[in-house]
Amino acid sequence: MPALPVDGAAVKAENFKPYEYAVFSVVVIATMVLCVCVGSVDIPLSDTAAIIWNAVFDIPLPEHITSPSIILSVRLPRVLCVALAGAALSLCGAAMQGLLKNPLADGSTLGVSSGAALGAVISIVFGITIPSLPFAGVTIMAIAFAFLSLMLILALAYRLDYSLSTNTIILVGVVFSMFATSIVSLIITFAPERVQQVTFWTMGTFQGSTYENALMLAAAFAVFGGTLFAHSRELNAFAIGEDNARSVGVNVKRVKLTVMIAVSALIGVCVSVGGSIGFVGLITPHMLRMIVGPNHKRLLPACAFGGAVFLLLADLVARVLLRPLELRIGVVTSIVGAIVFIIVFYRSQKKR
Amino acid sequence: MKRRIIAFTLLLALVLAVAGACTPPVEVADITVTDMMGRTIVISNPVERVVALSAADCEILYALGAGDMLVGRGEYCNYPDEVLEITAVQSGAETNIEQIIALEPDVLFMSSMAQSEEQVAQLETAGIAVVVSDADTIDGVYEAIELIGDVCGKSDEADALAGELKAGFAELAASTQASGATVYFEVSPLQYGLWTAGTNTFMDEIAAMVGVTNCFADVTGWGEISEEQVLERNPDYIVTISMYFGEGPTPIEEICARAGWADVTAVKNGAILNLQNDELSRPGPRLLDGAKALYQLIYGDAE
Repeated sequence: MPALPVDGAAVKAENFKPYEYAVFSVVVIATMVLCVCVGSVDIPLSDTAAIIWNAVFDIPLPEHITSPSIILSVRLPRVLCVALAGAALSLCGAAMQGLLKNPLADGSTLGVSSGAALGAVISIVFGITIPSLPFAGVTIMAIAFAFLSLMLILALAYRLDYSLSTNTIILVGVVFSMFATSIVSLIITFAPERVQQVTFWTMGTFQGSTYENALMLAAAFAVFGGTLFAHSRELNAFAIGEDNARSVGVNVKRVKLTVMIAVSALIGVCVSVGGSIGFVGLITPHMLRMIVGPNHKRLLPACAFGGAVFLLLADLVARVLLRPLELRIGVVTSIVGAIVFIIVFYRSQKKR
Repeated sequence: MKRRIIAFTLLLALVLAVAGACTPPVEVADITVTDMMGRTIVISNPVERVVALSAADCEILYALGAGDMLVGRGEYCNYPDEVLEITAVQSGAETNIEQIIALEPDVLFMSSMAQSEEQVAQLETAGIAVVVSDADTIDGVYEAIELIGDVCGKSDEADALAGELKAGFAELAASTQASGATVYFEVSPLQYGLWTAGTNTFMDEIAAMVGVTNCFADVTGWGEISEEQVLERNPDYIVTISMYFGEGPTPIEEICARAGWADVTAVKNGAILNLQNDELSRPGPRLLDGAKALYQLIYGDAE
């Protein structure tokens, strides 16, 4: 286990200290401010500040500012959604890496994201909706499929290899991911007029994010992210080994199930808002372990902050690099993520 | 049910193929055409069975009265309704070569988009003349019409159709004046990432023809653009080609309901047009219908 050693140097303070919370919060807020101020359209800094200030205190805008909606209706909700999704995805990655004692575990490598996307596509193409809540059908199907995928992958991996070694899980995950993707392609073949709607789920974008999306992400993060935070101690025990967890008195089955439900729900909600976005959950925990160490009590909060910053910056690149065109955020995270991952993995292997 | 229909059509195609093979050959001079990739193709006369992979070519064939020659169509061909009864062939990168050969066409029409040279070579080895029609301007559409007409022995009809379109466009262009108003073409709705049509598209060409400016003239071809840019550019007219599936808000209602779009001039004035049937995205004869719809949006019903 390259990334989870409990050697002397890595053992740091037990809890995330208040000043650390403060430092990380400042970094996240600074990134968010940057992402609100910089965008596809150039809006002077003073105007941006005035728009937000006046909106908060309900003061009418001065004459010369013409388009407050770019900041208030487009950029702000999008930045909020991206930050929350980044935090949630990164948290999920860290929790799964700990739970499965597997440095390669992540929603995308385990096929959970593809499963969630498949659920969303099925609900769109077959018109599975909840009356009066048109968007909820997609979200719930995404969550359900995320959970079912995770269960299926782990059940298969268990049958192949009871010790759940890294390679087996990843192998099964990758195979499942391909399977889910091919089912999506199959559905496209039968409903070609829906191609455009379906490709959204495989590529991912935060265009058109609303405050309602942000609220849904925040609620999911509070409930399921909170659940994960509450299980940091158990995750520490799992990171050393499942047998170890059992011997120190962890209710292995219950904790495993709880963590998996929380992870599936978070990934499902993120996928239903932004489509599937790879690599965020995989690399941010590795980067943050280098900074705060492997203890989940410190790692999980750090990952929430770090994931938000990573995804915010990726979205900023996606919005600004080719303006007025826009890149898919998944393209940016995958390019940056793959390179960073190779560096991180190479360094941690060398250290051994 | 669907499977049975497919099986039946396949059987029918087979019977027709056998029947076709039995008719004695008529000695007529070969047809020589230059297709839109500049390839010179010699086709033995008469052409009786054709497969068309692109939706525009299917539309042109029907408009020329040659629809009964079609024995196969690309899977995305959907206009006119009769075309749906023709055997569908997988097109694009996964073009089903075997199925096309089994249909025994004399000629295959396709666009230059996705088929590889190997696939074309395979078809030609099987004795099928491959004709590429690939219009990316309105003049190109006339050329495609003439080309398809020449191949199918409908040259007179092709001249008539091209003439009719030219006259129609000329009439529109003559009664418009450049107003400086801007139009935004929406190819994909916000929920799935906004895509627009920039320069070198039919939409752009037709916008210029009816006297308005495409507000994304700095984008070439189709591209995914930022929502902010649309709000900033504040178009006077919006044309969306999103499909409506009969559930939830219509594409126009969806645009009007977007947060922050209420201040866009087109939304304020209700100047939004929804063209659901590929009128402006397909290099076929219905481009004129699309142009007329845009004209009506801008100048009202008085033509």
